[in-house]
Amino acid sequence: MLKSKVDEVLQDVNKLPAISSVVSKVLEKLQKPDVNIADLAQEISKDPAITANVIKLSNSAYYRASKPIRTVQEALMTLGIKTVKEIVLLTAAKGILAQDLNSYQLEAAQLWTASLLVAELSSKIVQHKKLKIDKDLAFTSGLLCSVGKIVLAQFFSPVMMQLKADLKNNQEPFPTLEKKYFGYTHMEVSETLLKRWNFPVDLTDVVANYLTPENSKVNPLLTSVVHIASILIVVSGIGIDIGGESVPISPFALSQTGVTDADIETYFVHIPDLQAGLADLLNV
Amino acid sequence: MSIKSKIINVGIADIKVGKDTDVLRTTLGSCIGIVLYDPDQKIGAISHIMLAKDPTGKDMSKFPHKYGETALPILIDMMKKEGSNIGQFSCRIFGGASMFKGINSQFLQNIGEQNILIVRKFMEEKKIPIIVEDVAGNEGRTISLYCDDGRVLLKKAGMEKYLYKVR
Repeated sequence: MLKSKVDEVLQDVNKLPAISSVVSKVLEKLQKPDVNIADLAQEISKDPAITANVIKLSNSAYYRASKPIRTVQEALMTLGIKTVKEIVLLTAAKGILAQDLNSYQLEAAQLWTASLLVAELSSKIVQHKKLKIDKDLAFTSGLLCSVGKIVLAQFFSPVMMQLKADLKNNQEPFPTLEKKYFGYTHMEVSETLLKRWNFPVDLTDVVANYLTPENSKVNPLLTSVVHIASILIVVSGIGIDIGGESVPISPFALSQTGVTDADIETYFVHIPDLQAGLADLLNV
Repeated sequence: MSIKSKIINVGIADIKVGKDTDVLRTTLGSCIGIVLYDPDQKIGAISHIMLAKDPTGKDMSKFPHKYGETALPILIDMMKKEGSNIGQFSCRIFGGASMFKGINSQFLQNIGEQNILIVRKFMEEKKIPIIVEDVAGNEGRTISLYCDDGRVLLKKAGMEKYLYKVR
């Protein structure tokens, strides 16, 4: 069991994936009701890479701005605070998620594509089923679900032989094996990371429970949406990792969201079309 | 892999052809990857289908590579266009994991199985031999076809192995 080693890493800020202090500050400001656009623009502009991406993506076909955008302030005024927040998070997430996780048998491009697709499908499900959830919140929650795998991936080598043997006869969801060998599931690690980054509680709740939505305490409906989206993306093979298709769709998630078998069929068939629509974001 | 190798990613509902030093790669869940390879001319192709048939009948004209019924004839045509005709290549199939546990829909539960069946039927009709199958289960698979000698690198459930059978 590698739990003590994983604990060591989780307690050492220098060993964990980092998020720009600008992103943390932007999120912090956005949690206050009296957020000021000029103030926010100034904060974002402190990070040149994020600023460049905000302007580039604001002008992309995906966000369809009504006029050309040249500054962060213009982006905030034209697209709105929520959309710009989404772009800032997207840029930060790409920096963290776009890496090869060889031990999970997952390449960087696959992990990033899958993360974006879970985000986009979550947002589409919210709109399609007319759920009372902010679609941008659904997008962001879906985006960050796999982030804990980045930390666990580095601990695979010492247990790989045993884990593979276990995997052959495994009838349980893969996170059960993560827990057995590392002392943590990737969901628990994701939750720790998001808390460390000062993300709001509804986001940490989703990443902590997206494969077991019935355990969600804060927002079971949102967690259920992200659950369904994430399973469908895995089934399509995009971002499918060493765990394969070991987690079934939760009946709880289906009853919470009202998603029917026919809906699932439609969502599944349209995954390639969804991916085509994300071309701008895939190349952030 | 040689320095000259070019990796060509075959996306979901996509078909790609390669030759010589090209490497065609795709990742599969319940979808099926159909690999055709002509060992004499070193021409290969992968079709990544999602479903055997279009359940609505409306989508296949827009996205023909998504469905077995429309993708498979296109796959053969693309091999022909590169100069490889039926009789010169054989077929290997991968994927078709079965999932959707806990869902009652016959359609969803049988996606993988239906995909496998339509490929077998099509290849039998066209007299194209299927020489390797690694299908079903609940594992994801990444397959890479090396067009220089036709070997396939199969990655699944923590395992990696080369499959050299091409005739």
